[in-house]
This record gives sequence, structure tokens and C-alpha cells, in this order.
Amino acid sequence: MKKTILYILFAIFILLQLIPVELPTTSMDNPDDLLLNNTDIPNEVVDILKNSCYDCHSNETHYPWYSKIFPTSILVARDTREGRLELNFSDWENLSRVNKIGVLEDIVTAITLEEMPMRIYTLIHQDAGLSSEDKELVINWAEEFSDNLYD
Amino acid sequence: MKNLLSVAIIMAFSIVILSFTMVSNEQSTTPQSSDVTYEVPNNVQVILDNSCYGCHNSDSKSTKGKMKLNFDKLGDLKQGKLVSKLSRIYNAVNEQDMPPKKFISKYPDKKLSDSQTETVKEWANDLINKNGGL
Repeated sequence: MKKTILYILFAIFILLQLIPVELPTTSMDNPDDLLLNNTDIPNEVVDILKNSCYDCHSNETHYPWYSKIFPTSILVARDTREGRLELNFSDWENLSRVNKIGVLEDIVTAITLEEMPMRIYTLIHQDAGLSSEDKELVINWAEEFSDNLYD
Repeated sequence: MKNLLSVAIIMAFSIVILSFTMVSNEQSTTPQSSDVTYEVPNNVQVILDNSCYGCHNSDSKSTKGKMKLNFDKLGDLKQGKLVSKLSRIYNAVNEQDMPPKKFISKYPDKKLSDSQTETVKEWANDLINKNGGL
């Protein structure tokens, strides 16, 4: 009896995989990318952005294996889509200077209030969590970068 | 006679020096591109005090509200950051995102009337232009 239930559950799981979930497309060629166009950003900050933010906030998403499996595929697709909508570092240079300042403000707020990176993301990507030094590095960079935009 | 002459010379010098300092004073008050202009006329202040200041001040209980906008520190911001805040104020009242709906349902008198919304928008827009524009 137990075995039958297990078989049925497994069959349902397999069938669920037929539900199409479209992951946002990725691209490594982004001429308006923040890091590509601002080579003076300190390396430590570049590493943090790439490691902790770029999966959802750029076109350079590295999809893990479970992003192809239902139902985690739905979560990954949604978070990536919404993340890019909110802030896409791949389109950075298309923002007006005042919008750039606004986004940098939001980065500072989100990191200070520990809203970003999202818990569910750092739970799986353990190395994406930000230490207090990491936070300070990004916040200081964002403040300074912002001030230089209006000089 | 000698005394009179020295007094005259000193006076002449003083006038020259004074006029120089006055000229330099005048120059420093003419707006330069990096000078921050921040002023809140009374009619705007009344609206901000009534509908915004409660959450957006240094002692606010709302950490997020305070971080996003703090009227106590708005005038201390550099030009770019000030313009960014002002443009967000403009958008928030224009799109009726602020004051928050939940807050208004509790305190209906905090809702901005159409004319109050226009007043805040004009104020923000004017300061944006005086600080180098978007």
C-alpha cells in the first residue's frame, strides 16, 4: 500500500515536470553593464556584486540544476524576473543619472535593512551572504559612486 | 593737519576694502552649479508637517521611512542625492503612493487634496530645477 502511494506520488512528480516554466533568458554580452562601463569600481565590490547580486539583478544569471525542476523552477523564474525588473545591472547605462542615484540609494537601504540578498537565496548560496565588512564596502561604494554622478 | 590726512587715508582704505568684501559677498551668493538650494515655503511646510513628517523624521519609529526620506536631513544632502529625493517625492505624491493607503484609512485628514498634491509637486519641481535638473 505504502509502495503504491509512493509510486503515485513519483508519477505525479514526473508529470508535473511537463508543466512548462520559462526561465528569463541569459546573456553574457551586455554593452550597458555597470561593471563593464565602470572599470574603476574596486575589485572587492565587483566580486560582491557578481557573487551576491548578479544572479537576479543582471542578464548573467547562472541557473542551478534545480531551476529546471518543477516546482523550484517557478520560484527561480519569478525571483529572477522580478529582480531584473527592479534593478538590472546589465542595463545600467540606460538609466538617467537621477535614477542611478535612486537605485544606489535603494541598494544602501536594502543592504542596511538586510532585505537583500534574499534569505531564500543565501540559504542555498551560502557564499552569497554578506559579512558586515562586505556590507560596508558596498554601502560606501554606493554612496561615493552616487556623489560622483552629479559633479 | 597730518592727523586729518591719516584719518582720510585710513577711511579711503576702509572703503576700498569694504567694497571689495561686498563684491566678494555678492559673488558667493550668486548660485553656482554645485551650490545646493533648499528652501521650504510656509504653505509647503504645513502640508509636509501634516502628512509626511510623522514618518519621515530623525526620530521616526519607521526605520524604512526614515532611511528613504528624512526631512530633518534633506537640506544637508549633496545636489544629486537631493534631486533624487525630490524626484521621488514628486512621483510618490503624483502617483498617490504616499502617504500610504493604510495610513490614510486610519488618519483620513492626512490625505493630500488635489491642490496640496499640486503644491508639493510644484515645490519639488522648482527645487529640482534650481539644483541642476534631472
